[in-house]
Amino acid sequence: MTLSKFDYYGPKTVAEAVGLLGEIGEGAKVMAGGTDVLVRIRHRMLKPRAVVGLKRIEGLNGISCGPKRGLSVGATALLADVAAHRGIRRLYPGIAEAALGTANVQVRNMATLAGNLCNASPAADNAPTLLALNAELTIQGPGGERKRPLEGFFKGPGVTDLAPEEVVTAIFVPPPAERSGTAYLHLSARGKHDCTAVGVGVMLAMAGRKCRDARIFISACGPTPLRAPQAEQMLIGQVPTDKRMAEAGVRASGEALPICDIRASADYRCRVLGVLTRRALQAARDRAAKKG
Amino acid sequence: MEDRYSIIGKDVPRNDAVAKATGAAAYTDDMKLPGMLHGKLLRSPLPHARIRRIDTSRAERLPGVKCVITGEDTPKVKYGNWRLFPTTQDEYPLAVDKVRFIGDEVAAVAAVDVDTALEALELIRVEYEELPAVFDVDAALAKTAPALHEASPTNISIDRKISYGDVERGFSASDYVREDTFTVHAVSPGYMEPCSSLALCDLDGRITLWTSTQTPYIVQCLLASTLGMRENDIRVIKPFVGGGFGGKMELRPWEFCAAFMARRTGRPVKFTLTRQEELCYGRRRHPMKLWSKVGFKKDGTLVAKDLKILLDGGAYNAMGPTATFLCGNFGAMLYRYPNYRFLGEHVYTNKAPASAMRGFGAPQSLFAAETQMNMAAEELGIDPIELRIKNAMVTGDEIPGVATISSCGFIESLQEAAKMSGWKRKRKNFKAGRGIGVGCYSFISGGVFNWFNTQYPFSAAEVRAFADGTVHLLTMASDIGQGSDTVLKQILAEELGLGMEDIRITSADTAMTPQADLGTWGSRVTLMGGGAVQNAARKIKEELFGTVSARFDLNVIFEMECRNGRVYAKGKPERGMTFGEAVALAQKARRGEPLVARGYYTPRDKGLVTPAFSFGAQVAEVEVDRETGIVSVKKMWTAHDCGTVINPMAVEGQLEGSIHMGLGYALSEELQVENGRTMNNTFLDYKMFTAEDMPPGESVCIETYEPEGPMGAKEAGEGLASPTAPAVAEAVYHATGYRCKDLPITPEKILKGMKK
Amino acid sequence: MKHEITLHVNGDEYPIAVDPWRTLNEVLREDLNLTGTKFGCGSGDCGACTVLVEGRSVNSCLTLAVEMDGREITTVEGLAPSGERLHPIQEAFVERGAIQCGFCTPGMELSALHLLEKNPKPTEAEIRSAISGNLCRCTGYNKIVEAVADAAGRMKPKK
Repeated sequence: MTLSKFDYYGPKTVAEAVGLLGEIGEGAKVMAGGTDVLVRIRHRMLKPRAVVGLKRIEGLNGISCGPKRGLSVGATALLADVAAHRGIRRLYPGIAEAALGTANVQVRNMATLAGNLCNASPAADNAPTLLALNAELTIQGPGGERKRPLEGFFKGPGVTDLAPEEVVTAIFVPPPAERSGTAYLHLSARGKHDCTAVGVGVMLAMAGRKCRDARIFISACGPTPLRAPQAEQMLIGQVPTDKRMAEAGVRASGEALPICDIRASADYRCRVLGVLTRRALQAARDRAAKKG
Repeated sequence: MEDRYSIIGKDVPRNDAVAKATGAAAYTDDMKLPGMLHGKLLRSPLPHARIRRIDTSRAERLPGVKCVITGEDTPKVKYGNWRLFPTTQDEYPLAVDKVRFIGDEVAAVAAVDVDTALEALELIRVEYEELPAVFDVDAALAKTAPALHEASPTNISIDRKISYGDVERGFSASDYVREDTFTVHAVSPGYMEPCSSLALCDLDGRITLWTSTQTPYIVQCLLASTLGMRENDIRVIKPFVGGGFGGKMELRPWEFCAAFMARRTGRPVKFTLTRQEELCYGRRRHPMKLWSKVGFKKDGTLVAKDLKILLDGGAYNAMGPTATFLCGNFGAMLYRYPNYRFLGEHVYTNKAPASAMRGFGAPQSLFAAETQMNMAAEELGIDPIELRIKNAMVTGDEIPGVATISSCGFIESLQEAAKMSGWKRKRKNFKAGRGIGVGCYSFISGGVFNWFNTQYPFSAAEVRAFADGTVHLLTMASDIGQGSDTVLKQILAEELGLGMEDIRITSADTAMTPQADLGTWGSRVTLMGGGAVQNAARKIKEELFGTVSARFDLNVIFEMECRNGRVYAKGKPERGMTFGEAVALAQKARRGEPLVARGYYTPRDKGLVTPAFSFGAQVAEVEVDRETGIVSVKKMWTAHDCGTVINPMAVEGQLEGSIHMGLGYALSEELQVENGRTMNNTFLDYKMFTAEDMPPGESVCIETYEPEGPMGAKEAGEGLASPTAPAVAEAVYHATGYRCKDLPITPEKILKGMKK
Repeated sequence: MKHEITLHVNGDEYPIAVDPWRTLNEVLREDLNLTGTKFGCGSGDCGACTVLVEGRSVNSCLTLAVEMDGREITTVEGLAPSGERLHPIQEAFVERGAIQCGFCTPGMELSALHLLEKNPKPTEAEIRSAISGNLCRCTGYNKIVEAVADAAGRMKPKK
């Protein structure tokens, strides 16, 4: 099937993009990498009147990363560049893992981190880790720029907090907490690069032998990426033993709202979610320990 | 033996490899003709319905639309590959009165571009009266079930019985009897090239059709009958084809529509399917329900087997009748079954039709048979490979009334697979989560049953020899990626003592290549097409031998030879000349008449199934994550008997490709159909293994000599679709205690069925 | 409204007017007659349509032509531009039996090129990962992996 017909605009600045969205009004679709938007247009799940491409906006594809300044990823930075970025791999290995675990080589050479978030797929690979790391979005709209936490951004499958005339311009991740570790694990019926049936992103921060902070986010087990606060509470202030992590995993699977679809049954999702959560927590703990 | 052959047994690169590597190879959708229109099909959104009315007027008025047709516009001639039995021909190119599955073709549009054709589809109004539908064999066989076709009130379209010995007495005489029910699922052939067809109507009204097919001759004949034209007024050309695996061996509605609309509009018309259409509505491997009862003596000797299979055929017969036949035959292959009974029934359901797909009934039948063998071995306390060796068929064995095994390297395959894999050691000493299992196969080298009712030989070849030392091979055999053009050239080069570069090949053009060839399916081309090539080559040789013999005044007792580009007396190589000189001389003796020979192959007196069977054994080693149920295949070992290996690189390629498909069948691929709708419509959700998922493998060819095959060759690579699923299932059982009797093996089933 | 753009494909310039909804795949195949690039699925899952844009492998079926204005594109036809000698990757694919039906071949070769340009001596695992976005239904991938490793050896290291 060919794509349905639409007009195309390639603004040079964010302000121009926002202006265009206002002018076009209903039926305008913002596109970064296009790997999701164009598939949905091809399958007629989306029939925009106009596509506003962000790729020609200069400086929007930057990545800046440092232990003090944190991580900032521009809206058109490619997943391939996020996955390969040395600083990200060193400071935020969970983010690099999630980016590398998204789709396949070609798609990662086109798709963006911001696009993956804005599509708001419940199975989005990059959401859980960013949520676990308290990521923040920079959003530009007619009234200027606003920032908001990523948490709470997702409202349902394909639905976000973004207003029709707004554009996400960057994702900011605060500097990693001291003695903290992150990990992202996902699982599907086929290999590493596949649509995720269950995913877990975690962040664990240590103080002495005890866990100071824990954040656990789950993907593909509810209408949006979900947080598992009860499981987090089971860890905070405790010594994160394997046993405790296993218990937290079980609790996390109780907090999920999985459905049955062609990728897995709800039952199976619940069962392995506990396992993945435990494994992700262990990996995060080991990483935190390495940082001493 | 070393130099018995010059080019047989060599890793000759494919003759089309450079064209494919550079992107120059033109597949059907790569072709364009002046004035060409683009066709699209309107498909039924309902699984079962009567068509009340179709209004195409708005579509016809859309600018750019040149032709809109429905079943009412067509000659309404049913078709199907089983031409010998016209009652099995149950399909119209476009639906007439009724639709029987979601995706059934209802109307077609030809327009100046694809966008316009798609827009026109949305303007066609169809009024349906929805009918009750059935989605599995049980529902279809219920007393109250609606009949899909008037001719089959029970929804059983065809059945097949096999019986020899006395099964009941066999079970009475058995010490150990077990009964099991297995189910297997639908999978897609998953060829990379979506179907495409381009038709041109010339000024005389004749049709030329370029089409992505495995069977140009079948398409030619059935296109003629459905269009009401003479066969010879239709020319079918197979350009480069991007795989078929059984899914492209029938006449398809878009081939008919392209030709019909090309005639109507006077302009070329091209149809190309989308991947979504391929996955949702395309041909697939039959889901089946298999009930099997088997009896053994205490020492493991097989005594009897009773097998009943229900094939979930979908809405039309397609190649279902052949699959029904073959699953019965393969239920009793590999081992000596003194008493055997089979009942296979092909059942209509309101789903996309199942048809041929690599193995053609054998993968399903052998999954059940080989799994049951593994289960029996465990209960009898005999090693699964030992149990197989004890009962294995050998050369000379006869299957009563069905076939004689003319060559068989099965026992050697089992022994070799056990040796390579370290079977004994691993079987005993594996830790939890690791397992090893075995599965075996046998397959046909082409069928002998003339269901298509061809009036020509099964395979044909023409060889034209030239004084410049070159030859031209013409054959209707279809290379769809498996490499038959290369293999046929190798056979000809060997026979005539020429190099690959000396042979031009024209293949799979029904107007240019000799009548006929039944096409690429059932692993028939090497043996049958190769047999025809050899037959033609030998006629050329005879002529050249006579010419050279006369020129040197040779004693009649001299053996002659063609080798290294020369034709000469075997004992006195200096008495000879180059191949080209010999051709020139022969041509002179014929007063200018070119040296041309035709060769043919038709299996005669070869039983009911095939002239030759291949055999093999495969061992799989897996690791199962006992917490998630995820299976990782560590390694595959295969030993197989494909007779003389003509091109080892091509055989390996076939083998590795089979493992890819077999692992998908076992573990990851499944067309999930809900209420008649195929849910996984992309390769994201129809999960074929990627390069990262593929395990390493080791293989060995057990060379036998098949007397019926060219240079002793027989089937390679299709039968190998069968052993992988039972081998992996057994390995998973060994690792976890979960015994899979319903494919595919999913992580979920493993977690549920795992013994702690 | 059509957009006036200039595509740079395999070193040639093509000034063309395209509808905004047209993909790079359609423009290459239909307007430029570069049919070596295939169309296999339309959703970025099979890789048959892979081309390089500024040296990076992308799915041409998910790339809007209008966004390719001024970009350097390499298709399979650009691998061995002279036509006299094959590119080392092509040579290795031919000789190693990495080609059967050939429909995945152009995309595979470009994924291989994308890998080898960055990583001249890849491990087997790196090769498998690099071509994991290209499905092949015929070969089981092993001969393709061998061919890419072989091609790495044949390609002269850049100075």
